[in-house]
Amino acid sequence: MSASNFQSSALGKLLTYLSILLFLSIPWLLSALGLESAPYWVDVLNNIGLYTMLALSLNLILGQAGMFHMGHAAFFAVGAYTTAILNLNHGWSIMATMPVAALAAGFVAAVLAGPIIHLRGDYLLIVTIGIVEIVRIALTNDIFGLTGGPSGLFGIARPSFFGFKLTKPHHFFYFIWFMVILSLILFNWLENSRFGRALKFIKEDAVAAENMGINTTFYKFLAFVVGAAWAGVAGTVFACRLRTVSPESFNFGESVVLFTIVILGGSGSQKGVLLGSFLVMGLPQILRDFQDKRFLIFGAALVVMMIFRPQGLIPPKPARFCLPEPWAERYGSKGD
Amino acid sequence: MSKKIFGFLMWAFIASWCLGATAFAADEIKIGLMAPVTGAWASEGQDMVRVVELLADEINTAGGIDGVQVSIIVGDDGGTPKEAALAAQKLVTSGVSAVVGTYGSSVTEASQDIYDEAGVVQVATGSTSIRLTAKGLKRFFRTCPRDDEQGRVLAARVEGLGFKKVAMVHDNTSYSKGLADEAKDIFEHSNVGVVFFDAITPGDRDFNASLTKIKETNPEVIVFTGYYPEAALLLRQKFDMKWNVPMIGGDATNNTALVEIAGKEAASGYYFISPPALSDMTTDSAKKFMKTYSDKYGSLPSSVWSVLAGDAFLVIVEAIKIVGPDSSRIASYLTNDLDFQGLSGQISFNEIGDRLGEVYRLYQVDAEGRFLLR
Amino acid sequence: MDFFFQQLSNGLTVGGIYALIALGYTMVYGVMKLINFAHGELFALGAYIGYSLLVTMNLGGRLGPPMAIALTIIMVASLVALAGHLLERAAYRPLSHSDRLSAVVSALGASIFLQNAIMIKWGAQYRAYGADLLPNVIVNLFGQNVPLIRILVFLFAVVVMTALYAFIHRTKLGLAIRAAAIDQGAAKLMGVDVRRVIAVVFIIGPALGGLAGLLVGLYYGQINFIMGQLYGLKAFTAAIIGGIGNIPGAMIGGLLLGLIEALGAAYVSVAWKDALTFVVLILILVFRPTGLLPERVAEKL
Repeated sequence: MSASNFQSSALGKLLTYLSILLFLSIPWLLSALGLESAPYWVDVLNNIGLYTMLALSLNLILGQAGMFHMGHAAFFAVGAYTTAILNLNHGWSIMATMPVAALAAGFVAAVLAGPIIHLRGDYLLIVTIGIVEIVRIALTNDIFGLTGGPSGLFGIARPSFFGFKLTKPHHFFYFIWFMVILSLILFNWLENSRFGRALKFIKEDAVAAENMGINTTFYKFLAFVVGAAWAGVAGTVFACRLRTVSPESFNFGESVVLFTIVILGGSGSQKGVLLGSFLVMGLPQILRDFQDKRFLIFGAALVVMMIFRPQGLIPPKPARFCLPEPWAERYGSKGD
Repeated sequence: MSKKIFGFLMWAFIASWCLGATAFAADEIKIGLMAPVTGAWASEGQDMVRVVELLADEINTAGGIDGVQVSIIVGDDGGTPKEAALAAQKLVTSGVSAVVGTYGSSVTEASQDIYDEAGVVQVATGSTSIRLTAKGLKRFFRTCPRDDEQGRVLAARVEGLGFKKVAMVHDNTSYSKGLADEAKDIFEHSNVGVVFFDAITPGDRDFNASLTKIKETNPEVIVFTGYYPEAALLLRQKFDMKWNVPMIGGDATNNTALVEIAGKEAASGYYFISPPALSDMTTDSAKKFMKTYSDKYGSLPSSVWSVLAGDAFLVIVEAIKIVGPDSSRIASYLTNDLDFQGLSGQISFNEIGDRLGEVYRLYQVDAEGRFLLR
Repeated sequence: MDFFFQQLSNGLTVGGIYALIALGYTMVYGVMKLINFAHGELFALGAYIGYSLLVTMNLGGRLGPPMAIALTIIMVASLVALAGHLLERAAYRPLSHSDRLSAVVSALGASIFLQNAIMIKWGAQYRAYGADLLPNVIVNLFGQNVPLIRILVFLFAVVVMTALYAFIHRTKLGLAIRAAAIDQGAAKLMGVDVRRVIAVVFIIGPALGGLAGLLVGLYYGQINFIMGQLYGLKAFTAAIIGGIGNIPGAMIGGLLLGLIEALGAAYVSVAWKDALTFVVLILILVFRPTGLLPERVAEKL
């Protein structure tokens, strides 16, 4: 079962690995070419990497479980603030806070998911927007006296590995893209697990899935919590990269950005999400020279891309399962 | 099929970045300007760009700095910390020796380390949060006063006007909250009672519910530490309620649009403290500049912050004129020797980079909607 | 008690404006099942067109306030309707047969585009309508001093809602809209020109949004380019509370939202009022998963 990810032929595999290798050598290549702005572009790639992590986690909820979730920034925020608070108030090292950030975000998601998981489409959408607003307002109002109010928390430590401290953009490049690869592996594995197959079924036809004995509520709940927990992990990365967290970093707009990445990339497809992150996060940076017109162009580009690729840039390939011959003939080549 | 598209697009992107980012010759002095050109604070950011570019034009027409032209490189921070970090990377890698900006405190915060590690001087313009200079960065300065300074002046003026019972309203931005907290702290240690302390939401337009609630507490004065759009609406809606309690605000309300929005009748009697209003800038250079500005753009800059950005630019130029474009020498000059007549008054910095001297004045709006110095 | 009634009147005014914007959301949603995220920006566009006419071109000075405002209302409604129509042609029609979420992202893109277009055309600064366009008359209503304009804002919303309701339920075109709302395919088979229905909906919805923008400009006197975001979100919330797709629902949702905000600010905390609003929204949806007055539409599977 080769599923939907990277190609199966030997040459294809080789090319993929070469591409990954080439990509990972970008920081080195850019400075070897004597490019003065290399650190900037590497940092742009870091940003893209971070949003890829987030978008992959949202993809599980939105793309795979089919839940209209536009409040992912809330869980991202919980993770980032958890790291910030544990590091600043209790002196934890950054990497030690990461699992706690995941647990905290997952816990918040689990508490919230109960009552809202059964909501349909757009009603869920507004509720998740509501959640992200509630979280932002709570952070702004210095909830429990822990979040520092509107100016947030600052002075978060840098992550270090075996005594090596990450400071420069290219240090973070390897850290962040390692996390991205980890996310790809994790979500790829999830997609092809029993859990992923169940989600696919639920998204295609929830009623049929329920009738086949799949506990749809449970699987949706699980997708929501796992996706949120991974957003918490991304929160840790965010906090230690910027070294400051404040409420405006986690507003409704951030959730919209993530939502856009997943849908534009091709809801449910990991390659799509990767490309979506490059476009949505990269385009405004490339357009910097247009100054105040850059988001005008960006908005128009979003509409145009959506019109030309209504299913997303790289829609997920329909899953192939081994079926008896006549069935495979009929259903194997559906879609695309 | 999709694999090819994917690979192609990905590499096309990376290639286009590399092409887009070619290096260029360095026979000019580059000064960065980090400002919110887009996003919620775009109006401040665009004013900042106008002021600084106009000043740079003037310097260049007059022959530049020792014959070398000054070029301004704008980095848009979008008013968010995340974009600010990228803008800062962009600016430090484009070879600037000093950077002007930016506006919001948490936004400045996300960029401080990047400039510091790259050895670039940063002169912030609207970031009033205390902690920014408390970090002890050697190359960080700001032309705006700190929250505690303004809080102290605000509290003193409220007491000076004889008010004993105040209602405090902020808008939950870091500037506004910081200022409100500082002033409240002082009130609590004096015999002024704070009967109301809460935050409105910036961007909201209807404050009738809040005003009705404040009225119940029967204060002698409303202290509002937010920005002019909300201040104007508070004045107007308070006027419509026929409630003529006085109101006093901070420097973010020093904006001519305040009167336009509130109407002369509603705005009349409103107090605010601020560095000298644009119309009160007394030096010849300031007057001349304000005239050039309004000739070019049809009006004065809408707030004092963009003028402080102009001052930040001018002190950097002054330093470069004397010690050259080396950033550590600029920093040491700014700390130790600077005594410069800027647009907003005399500028010099203390050892942690805060502006020295008392800059605040008390203003009151008269019946004609003019800002009069008290 | 006095305090309570005062807050009630505060809430109903704000709610009336939310309701007007929510009507546009709900109309479009009813037929197209599309959350028009650019609706808030059309609302802002209305405010800015009004600004251009009343302040920049000083119609009030030339024609006298009543004439000027009447003319502005017509101009704003028609220009924003035109913009809405173009938006539908450019950003939504090509996606009418694709996944619903694709149209949502297209709407988000259109919203970013429009917001920045407004910023570039009219500037990022706050714009002031001026305080003297409307007379400041205070009326005594049930022992309360209420500014006349507030009553007018509220009445305007009620009148528009009633007219819209009558239009949907009493005219042939309204019948076509209802038919298309229930099932576009079946409506087509029954001879309803669904394209025309969508065009009509996309004229009425944006026109109402634009008028609400003008109203905000006139009533509060201050506009800026990001105003559409906040009002859009609030109005969307209102439409959902009422049961999206349902016209009286949008009205009730809007008024309820205004009341929750005013009473939340009055009795809980001003800083937490928006959070409170969303908590109430979630509670409402937990107990009534499709809003207070859900449109009776067969669920598409």
